[in-house]
Amino acid sequence: MLTALLTLLSHYRRHPGQLAMLLLGLWVAGALWSGVQAINASARDSYDRAEALFTTGLDRLERRDGEPLVRADFVSLRRQGLPVSPLLEGTVVTSRGERLTVIGIDPLTLPGDSAFATGGSRGELTAFFTPPWQTRLAPDTAPRLGLERQAAPGTEPSLANGHRLPPLVLAPALPPDTLVVDIAVAARLLERGTAVSRLVAAAGALETAPEGYRLGRADTLVDPGELTASFHLNLSAMALLALIVGLFIVQAALGLALEQRLGLLRTLRALGVPGRTLVALLALELVLLGVIGALAGIASGVWLARALLPDVAATLQSLYGAAVGTQLRLPWHYWLGGLGVTLGGLFVAGSGILWRAARLGVLGLGQAQAWRAGFQRQLRGQAIAGTLAALLALAMWAWLAAQPAGEGLVAGFVLVGAMMLACALWLSPLLAAGLSGLGRLARRRPLTQWALADLQLQLPRLSLAMMALLIALSANLGVGSMVGGFRLTFLDWLDQRLTADLYLRPPAGQFDAVQAWLVERDEVAELLPTADAESTLLEVQAGGDQRSLEVPVTLFGITPGARLTPTWPLLETRAGRDAAWRALEEGEAFINEQLALGRGIAPGDRLVLRSPGGHQRVTVAAIYPDYGNPRGEVLLATAALRERFAAAPGSLGIVLADTDPPRERQAETLSRALAARFALGREALRDQREIKALSTEIFERTFAITRALNALTLAVAALALLASLLAQARERRRRLAPLWALGVTRGRLAGIQLTQLGGAALATGLAAVPLGIAITACLVAVINVAAFGWRLPLHVFPAEIALTLATALGVALLAAALPALTLWRTPPRTLLAEEEAT
Amino acid sequence: MLEFRQVHKAYATPLGPLEVLTGVNLTLAAGESLALMGESGCGKSTLLHLAAGLDLPDRGEVRVAGRAISSLGEAGRARLRRETLGLVFQQFHLVPSLTVLDNLRLQARLAGREDRAWSAELVERLGLAGLARRYPEQLSGGQQQRLAIGRALAPRPALLLADEPTGNLDESTADEVLDLLLALVRDTGSALLMVTHSPRVAAPLDRCLQLSHGRIG
Repeated sequence: MLTALLTLLSHYRRHPGQLAMLLLGLWVAGALWSGVQAINASARDSYDRAEALFTTGLDRLERRDGEPLVRADFVSLRRQGLPVSPLLEGTVVTSRGERLTVIGIDPLTLPGDSAFATGGSRGELTAFFTPPWQTRLAPDTAPRLGLERQAAPGTEPSLANGHRLPPLVLAPALPPDTLVVDIAVAARLLERGTAVSRLVAAAGALETAPEGYRLGRADTLVDPGELTASFHLNLSAMALLALIVGLFIVQAALGLALEQRLGLLRTLRALGVPGRTLVALLALELVLLGVIGALAGIASGVWLARALLPDVAATLQSLYGAAVGTQLRLPWHYWLGGLGVTLGGLFVAGSGILWRAARLGVLGLGQAQAWRAGFQRQLRGQAIAGTLAALLALAMWAWLAAQPAGEGLVAGFVLVGAMMLACALWLSPLLAAGLSGLGRLARRRPLTQWALADLQLQLPRLSLAMMALLIALSANLGVGSMVGGFRLTFLDWLDQRLTADLYLRPPAGQFDAVQAWLVERDEVAELLPTADAESTLLEVQAGGDQRSLEVPVTLFGITPGARLTPTWPLLETRAGRDAAWRALEEGEAFINEQLALGRGIAPGDRLVLRSPGGHQRVTVAAIYPDYGNPRGEVLLATAALRERFAAAPGSLGIVLADTDPPRERQAETLSRALAARFALGREALRDQREIKALSTEIFERTFAITRALNALTLAVAALALLASLLAQARERRRRLAPLWALGVTRGRLAGIQLTQLGGAALATGLAAVPLGIAITACLVAVINVAAFGWRLPLHVFPAEIALTLATALGVALLAAALPALTLWRTPPRTLLAEEEAT
Repeated sequence: MLEFRQVHKAYATPLGPLEVLTGVNLTLAAGESLALMGESGCGKSTLLHLAAGLDLPDRGEVRVAGRAISSLGEAGRARLRRETLGLVFQQFHLVPSLTVLDNLRLQARLAGREDRAWSAELVERLGLAGLARRYPEQLSGGQQQRLAIGRALAPRPALLLADEPTGNLDESTADEVLDLLLALVRDTGSALLMVTHSPRVAAPLDRCLQLSHGRIG
């Protein structure tokens, strides 16, 4: 059957554009999907390696007086028989200007089952902490030191400060951009003398904190993989969208290639090739093309991931504090998965075409009307499938409405997917019905009637591209409105929370003295000291019910006052804003929205929290929004927090008395005075506007990849439309030739083409508007709440809607311009010659 | 070689079933040539489709080379077409993406009995020698039909079925193509069933039958 296969494939030799369109669809679909999966796989690898490191999963000790830890603390605690181990952390700059984290450890006291402590033999351990020592690093960190991976072991690279690293030893289990050395070497490299960053102990090894120290439990640290799961899920959802849009191109190309080969199929059947063999050969053709497209897609995906990974890593670092390497590390199953998803998608896209080809009778194969009758059946099928998808969306919505807020992330995505699918499936039947109705209205305008009838004839080939455009436009509008709304809300929230003009972070030991000194200054109108601590929420008492929990929470202290109280946003209170603030001053608490939604806590409930002095009970007076915080947080008045939870002092918000002289000058004066009195550097004092600018930058970077993927999806949809139009351009010209012969100018014909497609795209854009708004509503009310724990108000931006419609029109006109230009430039005689040749 | 016994065939239409063949009887011996004539729409093409196993009779029996086509499955009928039959259509139905030479060899290759010397002779005799690397769309109508005849005869089929093979050609080209077809059929020893509405085209064949109102008259 090789002859039959080669005969089938010979079609692409004469129609290379169709082959290009098919491969393009597979390529872009595979590239975006594989790119995002490569990013996710690399991030997961980083999380796994971070978890395996000794910096997580261990209890931590800090000095209660806020003074830095030194070697003497370690010695004294060891002499008391406590199983603690010192860690010294810092950053070094390589001779190439790259910043790397150095972690100095004492391998003999480091608790048990960390990747480092369990790796290596006794001989290796001795080599680690005796001269000339060792520098352990992951293989993907070597290039940051300007070294090839293979050449790295044994070398001793220099740092920017002149120190040389001990000989390098590769340790694949270590996280990226991290150098692990003996603590004595770290002290020399970091020039930190006898300082110690942390004292750690195996989780649960210390029952209570030693006298003078604060104990941070390992379980208050959240696993970065768990924290970032929703971020990766969102990325995967965007990639899936791009994959689907790409597969629309594939299906359009396959449909066209098969439609144009109906005659060939009929001839081959007449020449004795069985129908089943033909379908099998078409499937084999799909596999061959699929493998080529998928491999190209995966290769481009890896390239795309390399380009996007630094931004994603920065986002994950700023959003969740999760360290992700900027070098790709892809497991073997990534490659197989990419190939499998692209080929699977191809078969989903191609199965309908194969099914239709298998069902057509041999005598009907060559007849276009048999194929068109198939399209009519397909429209009916689409309408039924669209109705089923709409019912699924309704069922999901009803189910979600019955769930507590914050439940149902997957159901939320299913709801959005079902809505998009329902609208996409209904688009072609609605366009066909609309065109038919308009055609009846335009009976007295023959050219308009012809244009409408002609557009109906084009629908079978255009419908898939239009569906892809609808999905891309609505996703763009939905995500764009969500991000825009989030931005507005976030900026408002920053304004409401950052009420002080300046923020000072003095060392813990000087905090009270600095505060007392500032109170006396004329330029200071009000001071807003903060404090923070870690705790565990043990119990929630609501009415007569009690629920036992073990949830790590952050405790944060604020100072209610004339500046803060009126602006601090509250979502829900027990008895109004004023009463809530009075309650806070009297020792009650506010909790953030994440904690309230995640644990089903309402104002009026009582919380039992673990504190150094035993259990503390607080009543919830209000719930406040806390965007961007992945953890549950309990807010108390600073004084109460420091007293009841022995919390460390945080920062001092400084409200200036007057705006004259300008804030910069006042900050400068205050900074000089602080330096003179307390030896505080200029960096200790931050302008509120600086913090806002930094937060806004982090926000913008967080959504950079979302925007990039969104724009790429729209570009793919535009390509789908262009490819569909180019593929049928020649046949269109043949259809237009008789009109030219009847006296319609070529310019007018080109204009008709543009109007036809522009109108269809505008209709698609109009359909995308309500769908996009519905997607935004699902994102802010369901998916964000489930993924991040906070709800956003629904914002609809008329400018965003206008942009969506303009994009639809622009994409369509751009795609139609090339065929229209070709038509306009084709000599009239050629048009007729093409018509005669059919 | 070919036998129709009391063959009936009807098609469903919106106005009810349309009886096309109503008890057709016909036989064609090996090496014999037969012209089947009749008005447009009288069922000539339906009869040819039944002979080729492209369709099945509602009643009666069609036997090709001793085998009843109704007893053959889809794959069996495909094999019959591949190995026993040659088909020539009015619309040529060449493969536009294959060259002239590849089109000519196509069926012989599918049947697994390509004879290069015979193919080369066919190319010569069909007057396609200088056109072997061209594509069908670059040929005239007469050349395309000659190529279609060559494709059908390349595997030396036992039975050649031709549906109005000169219907799309002008008179002189039609005569030329017909002469060539008959000469080649004689040389290969194939039986020939040709559907035509032209008495001039039917005249040189061994026998001529008239199909009227669904029966051989």
